[in-house]
Amino acid sequence: MALKPATNPDVEAATIELSLDGRIVTAKDGVSLYDVIASTGNIVPAMCYHYTFDPFGSCGVCLVMVEGKKAPVRSCTAKATAGMVVRTEGDDLFQARKKAVEKHLSVHPLDCPVCDADGHCELQDMAFQHQVTTLANAKQKLIPEDTRSLVLDFNMNRCIACGECINVCKDVLMIDALQFMKKDGFTQVVAKGDVALSCEFCGDCLAVCPVGAITNKYSKYLYKPWQLKKTTTTCNYCGDGCQMYIETKDNEVVRVTSPLSWKNKWGDRAETAKGHGGICVRGRFGFQYIDSKARLRQPLVRRDGNLVETPWLETIHTVVERLAAIKAQHGPEAIGGLITARCSNEELYLFQKFMRAAIGTNQLDSSARYGHLNFVHAVQHALGIGRMMNDWEDITKAKTILLVGTNITETNPLTAVRVKEAIRVYKSQVIVVDSAQTNIATLASHPMLVAPGTEGLFIQGLVKSVLEQDLVDEEATSKHPQAFTALKQAASRVPLDVIAAHTGVPVEQIHQAAAIFAEAPRAIILCGEGIVRRTGGYRHVLNLVDLAWITGKLGRPGCGVNTITEEPNEQGAADMGALPECFPGQARFDDAGAREKFEKAWGAALPAAGSGASLMEMLKRCRSGHIKALYVIGENPLATLPSSVGVRAALENLELLICQDPFLTETAQLAHIVLPACTYAEKDGTFTNLEGKVLRIRQTMDPIGESLPDWHIMTAIANGLGYELPYESAQDIQNEIMKLLPGYYNLGQPRKISPKPESYLANGYAAEVRNRYRSDLKRKPASGGTARRSFTLLMGQVLYHSGKLSTQASGLIKILPNTGRLHMNARDLEQMGLGEGARVRVTSPKGSLELGVQADLTVLPGSCFFPEHFNEPQVKDLMPVEVDADTGVPYFKLAEVTIEKL
Amino acid sequence: MSVSVLAKQLLDAVMFREIWNAMKVTFTHMFHRPITFQYPREERTIPDTHRGALALLRYDDGAERCVGCDLCEVACPSHCIKVVSTEDESLPLRRYASEFYIDITKCVFCGYCVEACPVNALAMTKMYEYSTHDKRTLLFDKKRLYEIGERFIEDAKKYLYAHNQEKNDQMFHDYRYFFPQSVLKPTQPLPPKHLT
Repeated sequence: MALKPATNPDVEAATIELSLDGRIVTAKDGVSLYDVIASTGNIVPAMCYHYTFDPFGSCGVCLVMVEGKKAPVRSCTAKATAGMVVRTEGDDLFQARKKAVEKHLSVHPLDCPVCDADGHCELQDMAFQHQVTTLANAKQKLIPEDTRSLVLDFNMNRCIACGECINVCKDVLMIDALQFMKKDGFTQVVAKGDVALSCEFCGDCLAVCPVGAITNKYSKYLYKPWQLKKTTTTCNYCGDGCQMYIETKDNEVVRVTSPLSWKNKWGDRAETAKGHGGICVRGRFGFQYIDSKARLRQPLVRRDGNLVETPWLETIHTVVERLAAIKAQHGPEAIGGLITARCSNEELYLFQKFMRAAIGTNQLDSSARYGHLNFVHAVQHALGIGRMMNDWEDITKAKTILLVGTNITETNPLTAVRVKEAIRVYKSQVIVVDSAQTNIATLASHPMLVAPGTEGLFIQGLVKSVLEQDLVDEEATSKHPQAFTALKQAASRVPLDVIAAHTGVPVEQIHQAAAIFAEAPRAIILCGEGIVRRTGGYRHVLNLVDLAWITGKLGRPGCGVNTITEEPNEQGAADMGALPECFPGQARFDDAGAREKFEKAWGAALPAAGSGASLMEMLKRCRSGHIKALYVIGENPLATLPSSVGVRAALENLELLICQDPFLTETAQLAHIVLPACTYAEKDGTFTNLEGKVLRIRQTMDPIGESLPDWHIMTAIANGLGYELPYESAQDIQNEIMKLLPGYYNLGQPRKISPKPESYLANGYAAEVRNRYRSDLKRKPASGGTARRSFTLLMGQVLYHSGKLSTQASGLIKILPNTGRLHMNARDLEQMGLGEGARVRVTSPKGSLELGVQADLTVLPGSCFFPEHFNEPQVKDLMPVEVDADTGVPYFKLAEVTIEKL
Repeated sequence: MSVSVLAKQLLDAVMFREIWNAMKVTFTHMFHRPITFQYPREERTIPDTHRGALALLRYDDGAERCVGCDLCEVACPSHCIKVVSTEDESLPLRRYASEFYIDITKCVFCGYCVEACPVNALAMTKMYEYSTHDKRTLLFDKKRLYEIGERFIEDAKKYLYAHNQEKNDQMFHDYRYFFPQSVLKPTQPLPPKHLT
């Protein structure tokens, strides 16, 4: 079916009139008749229809009478035309629909009692609604179940061939992993090529299956839908902030479901621009860690070198006594704190208030420091805004999307679905600049494969190309002629052919990409870990702002510079001031007005403006002995940072290390006191997703063991220290934030923000831009020899994992266990004479390691990849660490190594 | 009080009339058939429809009938049934109850669970003797329920027939006994080739 006019923002479709059950209804031309009927609120039963994709018309239930036709027609595949006279009710239609339901039911096994879909089955509902009681010619298919897939079982006896799974996979997600196949005399749904299903495992096929033909292996036969308690909450794996339902039975998580379901099949297709309601593999299949056996159930206190289970009251007394003693003896500057961005906004707010007001130190940091703060600080500095400028709808409706250094399908799968919808429905041009043959690069119109680590240089090339091709937006640049001249001068320092040589992308392609970006009316930049987590991240984001500025994209609707976040609440960590530079609301810590406001609100004297320390500085102070006590909430620096940073030495040097975590992490094993914290499923609160939407997390179950929410523990310690915090629930903290930051709780509808680059461009821009445009790359030495060659080692995320947390989820480990192997290009393997699983020695300036190799189609020749989620073997220790001079972000995801065959 | 009344009372006292009256009742009962049921030594005949202890049943070949569908749990008005079901690893698709509990102290003997059972794995027996010193033993687990089922299989079958749950005909046998496999209809004389 042709593109629906309702989904094309550029074309206004003609309005037509038709008669529905005697009423005159107006509709857009070209829309399906079913959609027109559904838009009036009249529901015609249908089993194969879902609003997220084009009608398929296989179930034959959505029958209506159209004047001039003798037999009932399927309304989903019929186009609404002007002057149509349609009847949707009547006994003849009821009988015709009943016949269609009977047809499906006659080849459907009546094994409802043992079927997982029992009670949540559209065929059951239809049979009931149409009063099907006897079947004349029932027969059975007797097809054995397909249990080859890792997470899904396909029981094709129950399949009604509605094709929803295939359509959602192909049209909405653009994965296309399923197909119909005629097998054993029946049409069956099988994985492409009739092999074991191997896809992104998002499970959206499971969600839309109206019967029990596709079942979830992890919860098979464990439940009946009516036994489960269903709680709407926000996923805590990545920054997309997907809404999902955690379904529990007796304090056990049974399954996770998504708003995308066959149950809500009626909707406006255009609404999918804000998200189609699905979730990804991590959300749907990675829930086992919540009630895992490995969870901490009791506080632990170190006695005679061992961590001993201790009651809460005693533990809190010990914590308070020792913190108070250290504060009294060495002053508040001897205490530091780290928090993870997987905590809620309330906890992040409380943490920084606790550190600043109760302890009196500004030595605190969150895991947003690992990259997201590069973006926040850059756009805050340049444009006066502290988050990304566009939302999912803007991304979906963009004409051009420039993805720089992001494997978005793997890091943020649902934001990737927005890009995919832009490609599929809105036919946008997508330029992917990355150093791997990623999934989104294969779908994109303009994939640009660059040498690893040169994504930033490519941006300089784009700016230069815009200037050279004179694609400059006069209106934007003429306001700041001085800044523009400075930029032109700075950009002229690196010739385009040098950039082309370094990045490996021909000059013509750079010109083409620049032209596509500059000429699009709605162009979006989306940068990811390849920019913000690699050397020069801060500078490169500012270069992206330059690119947007000179092409006139700043402040234009539907245009902007954006990023993606790895952890669910990195944006919240920046907004809640869980970093030494800022107060809540991203007010500068040295700003006198903000200091006065928060001093008054918190009733405490704040630490001096220059005394703060971020993550890397704090570790240095731990080693030097300035920091005596460290309070670590959910963070695990020992397992995250390379050992060359000396994290172990820093932590062992401490007098008191308090670790608050759901699991006994590597850091917690070194701790003096370990406090068991709840996961997001056991507490209330909010997350701020990458779009700036504040989304609720809700308590789905009682805390495991004696674990407590983080805010509860912090409140207890603060009260013990004599700083009274009157909070009894997360809501109390929320009320305080509401008073201090009016309008922050935006109910999932963030205010549109407009960039204000004027003061940045007018003051000091010229001096700053001079240092930003440079090629600080050395030419890679020609990689000669077959036995020993130089490679670029990259560490990054994979689709099936998120941070270290997901390795506790047995479901995700089953999908992707740690192979301990280095991913390399097949051609490199062949040239070096290495087979699958062969052992190599990897040597970097920081050390060397022996490990196996495996072929990976996405890795480019000359580079190799290791997932950052696994520390066995300790590949992270090979990485050199560089700390950004402007933002203090540690870069350790890229290393030049030599690989030697063993 | 008149003299005659006083005289009658005196006479009654002297004659022990009250005792005679009482003994009259006793002596007349000597010639009655005894009404008292000598319970532990004698057993009452109980109708087939009697709702006694619940039992889990097996097929004639010894296989468990229960498919762990949880429908009894839903039907139970006093929430005394708990079913934990899983897939039998050796027989894919085969769902069964790995654990099955009936808290008989909570049971109100309504028989809804038996009605709900799609495979007639549950039945009520005429057994009612399970008094105990330890209340905890009244949480019947799967093993105990099958033991009851084996001991009182005849009662259970009669209960099912009496309540129209099961007929002793072929259709019932086919349909109920080989669940979730379906009825082989004349339209489909043999299982398809790939299954043989």
